[in-house]
Amino acid sequence: MSSRMKSAVVTLACAIAACGGPAPETEADGGAEAQVESDAVVVFTTNYPLAYFAKRIGGERVRVEFPAPAGIDPAYWSPSPEDVAAYQEADVVLLNGAGYEGWVAKTSLPDSKLVNTSAGFEDMYIVSEEAVVHTHGPAGEHEHENLAFTTWLDPVLAIEQARAIRDALAAQLPGAEADLQEGFAALETDLTEIDARLGAWAADHAGQPLLASHPVYQYLARRYDLNLRSVHFEPDEVPTTGGWRDLAARLENHTAEWMLWEATPLAETRELLASEYGVGSFVFDPCGNRPESGDYISVMRANVESLEALPAI
Amino acid sequence: MRDTLYLALRYLAFHRVKTAILVAAITLIVFLPVGLRVIVNQSSQQLTARAEATPLVIGAKGSPTELTLNTLYFSSDVPARTTHAAAAEVTETGLAHAIPMYVRFRVRDRPIVGTTLEYFEFRGLRIVEGRQLAILGEAVLGSRAAKRLGVGPGDYVISSPESVFDIAGVYPLRMPVVGVLEFSDSADDDAVFVDVKTAWVIEGLGHGHQDLSRPEAAAGVLRREGNVVVGNASVMQFNEITPDNIDSFHFHGELSDFPLTAVIAVPPDQRSSALLQGRYQSAGLSQIVNPTEVMDELLDTILTVEKFVIAGAVTVGLATLATTFLVFALSLRLRSRERETLFKIGGSRTAVATVMTSEIVVVLAAGVLLALCLTFLTQRYGDVIIRALIR
Repeated sequence: MSSRMKSAVVTLACAIAACGGPAPETEADGGAEAQVESDAVVVFTTNYPLAYFAKRIGGERVRVEFPAPAGIDPAYWSPSPEDVAAYQEADVVLLNGAGYEGWVAKTSLPDSKLVNTSAGFEDMYIVSEEAVVHTHGPAGEHEHENLAFTTWLDPVLAIEQARAIRDALAAQLPGAEADLQEGFAALETDLTEIDARLGAWAADHAGQPLLASHPVYQYLARRYDLNLRSVHFEPDEVPTTGGWRDLAARLENHTAEWMLWEATPLAETRELLASEYGVGSFVFDPCGNRPESGDYISVMRANVESLEALPAI
Repeated sequence: MRDTLYLALRYLAFHRVKTAILVAAITLIVFLPVGLRVIVNQSSQQLTARAEATPLVIGAKGSPTELTLNTLYFSSDVPARTTHAAAAEVTETGLAHAIPMYVRFRVRDRPIVGTTLEYFEFRGLRIVEGRQLAILGEAVLGSRAAKRLGVGPGDYVISSPESVFDIAGVYPLRMPVVGVLEFSDSADDDAVFVDVKTAWVIEGLGHGHQDLSRPEAAAGVLRREGNVVVGNASVMQFNEITPDNIDSFHFHGELSDFPLTAVIAVPPDQRSSALLQGRYQSAGLSQIVNPTEVMDELLDTILTVEKFVIAGAVTVGLATLATTFLVFALSLRLRSRERETLFKIGGSRTAVATVMTSEIVVVLAAGVLLALCLTFLTQRYGDVIIRALIR
């Protein structure tokens, strides 16, 4: 594929991702939250997908708060004592689990309010291959096992997380089971549709080598059996010489022509990738934080459209 | 009658030392058994009130009394350890809320109570100064602990080493005080509260140190084997958790295996309580105790001792009473000439006898009245003294 064609695909993909698709703005956004009744169940979450799921399921019965600032990866966010105090006041605190919110182990939150939404599939967690082990002191070897944590990128697991949210809200809202089930069913339908489209794309591109700018797509890759390898490129930084060297080494036995990015990469990076390595770029937003526009489902649909826009091998 | 009473009082005032001794003896005879009973009753109420407010306590098998006293009063005798999994097991039953407790360490003579935020809610403890625990490594103090240690929000407390000779043992952790609790007139006033995870950091199960994978930590690296970095003894561990180093803090092993001294189980109703107790009846590594029953047993022992003490006091009282009557009898005999004189100057024998009887009645009444005053004071202020003693 020519670099001009790749650039065109990239432009299209980035435009779709940035626009966020056609889905209307949902109640997960701040404006509508102000109208929620004061007696609503207060739900705090540690990432945006959980906030979105909770609002879709709970509707007006819940007030969903996701205090991480925009523009950062919530997985690496550390809340201030004031943020922690706000979490402490919640009725329910939804956790992603799989080691996503490392800060929880370093804060004081009421155990009885914590709901690990991925607890139901702990046996399906993916252990990162890049874990570092260190040993020292009388305790001997200490292995710091790193788990891949973007569980929601597998829509089937996302549905399981949504189910856990439904159950947690049902415990807080006796008598509202039917409404909660209705919200859950609608969400499940959307996620199932995304799963079907991703599955269809994966079937058409079976075995196609792909690169990821970061190791965040493990659950996506496993779900659709993608031939995906990762490097460590930041979208807002031009890779270092070492980074380019790692990429070259990676490409020697993994001849990928496309790289998934969490966000739109710098034009310089994109051009160098295309011209020097023949690798095109497109955005597949994990949507860990609140999107600038649209919502979780619209971003995921845009991601699917980005993939569908790639030329078949 | 007034004349008779006047003569009796003048006589007692003239012999004031003898009168005072008699009144004191009568006071003690009445007060000792009654006051002792009041004190024992108040002690029982003090002990059982906290026990009754603590539905069930789960811990490793061992002394139920040690487990109860450590959990309720943070006594320095540390019971056998259970694990954090015990708390999870209680929660999983759905029969009770679990509040983990780890009461092992001290800040000087104040107990460090490692627990979760549910404990504060359970005991109704409110922050009056500063804020609640939020970040690992912080401490909230009971009101009396704050006064005794002379610290408040913004100050620091340091955990005490368990043994000065245990070089490889528990390192002191410097903890910022972020809040002080409202006075609750309970054992909680003397405690230094931390998150249970902070207690594990004090124990060394969690710690922070330089990132051994980074070049600047090269001096602390013994060797590298692929993904495994082996540190040497010079790896510096942080003795305070700060915003700058908190990211380096981590726990080794499964949290479920980490130690607790007890788990307070709070069932919503009697049925759940009975079902939960039933689950722990079979042989296992854990025991479940009803603190009220444990304290009742303890009080039974105290009451047995009390019975002996009261029996002794009554015996001594009776002997003292007999002696007092002997004193009165001897006194009357020694005062035969005085009675004769009163008779000769015109007093009837009845009037003389009335004067003598009035003296005895006044002494007895004064003694009983004083005993009642002492009993009232004991009733009023005894609990304060008892709390200070049993703390």
